[in-house]
Amino acid sequence: MDYPSFIQTFLKSVKGFALNLPMLMSAILLTGLFEVFITPDMLSSLFTGHILYDTLIGTISGGVSAGQPFVSYIIGGELLDNGMSYYAVTAFVLSWVTLGIVQLPYEYSLFGGRFTLTRNLLAFIFVLLISFATVQTLKLLS
Amino acid sequence: MKTRTVNRKQKLNGRYLLPLVLLGYALLYNYYPDKTIEALSKSLSTLLHLLPVFLLVIVLMGIFTALMSAKRIAKLLGKQSGIKGWVISVVGGILSHGSSYIWYQMLANLREQKVSDGLIVTFLYTRAIKLPWLPLMVSYFGYAFTVLLMLYIITGAIIQGMIVEKTSLHK
Repeated sequence: MDYPSFIQTFLKSVKGFALNLPMLMSAILLTGLFEVFITPDMLSSLFTGHILYDTLIGTISGGVSAGQPFVSYIIGGELLDNGMSYYAVTAFVLSWVTLGIVQLPYEYSLFGGRFTLTRNLLAFIFVLLISFATVQTLKLLS
Repeated sequence: MKTRTVNRKQKLNGRYLLPLVLLGYALLYNYYPDKTIEALSKSLSTLLHLLPVFLLVIVLMGIFTALMSAKRIAKLLGKQSGIKGWVISVVGGILSHGSSYIWYQMLANLREQKVSDGLIVTFLYTRAIKLPWLPLMVSYFGYAFTVLLMLYIITGAIIQGMIVEKTSLHK
């Protein structure tokens, strides 16, 4: 390995991170706010029992929520126990980890509007598609 | 578009958003002091949890740039990388740890070195597979559901990458 070259590139990486630190801190602080102010009870109350509506609500509420993935499993498990459809719960669990309102400003600042919009739009559509495909395949298998 | 990125890189990113977020905290503290403190505490805990991953990403970025020329990176992960590029992207996404935004800086650097947008999109989507949490997912939703969801996530991630390749977001 070219040692001086590695030091140089390492310092360049540190500088890159330092320049992005305020945006990164914003994303982390927003995550804390969303985690505390958007409660599991609040999310559960949005679901009505109508499959299509709930799937859409599952996708949106998962996208605006923040926190570790296991939280979405716990809420999803409770929703299933309360009679919610697998479609809605799958959409909720998947959008929790693939969509993220809090990180949009950071993504936009690094990749630009076109990339951010296209990626998130595709992710949103694919949450719906994957939810339907997963549940339909499960039904077929069982 | 490229010029805009270069100009933006030299400035402090988030210099307007961070004061706004802090102002939001200050305002919320007036109405919900306990919850705001809890949010701040959760944010700090997230930051501490992510610190080792930050370091890992910084070191990885340094190693990538030092060991691989832009030309080699473009060959491995560029538009002409073929199946190898897709495999690296999928496996990398699954193995990467922590929140997505930690990896943004590294991905943006790789993008400047001609890594294809499709592979970046695929990498980010396969991050939905959280290996450490799979046992918990199985306990809540069962094996069949978990395996199917993982397979569909990988398939969906590759399809999204291919769609992005066709649209050529980064010229």
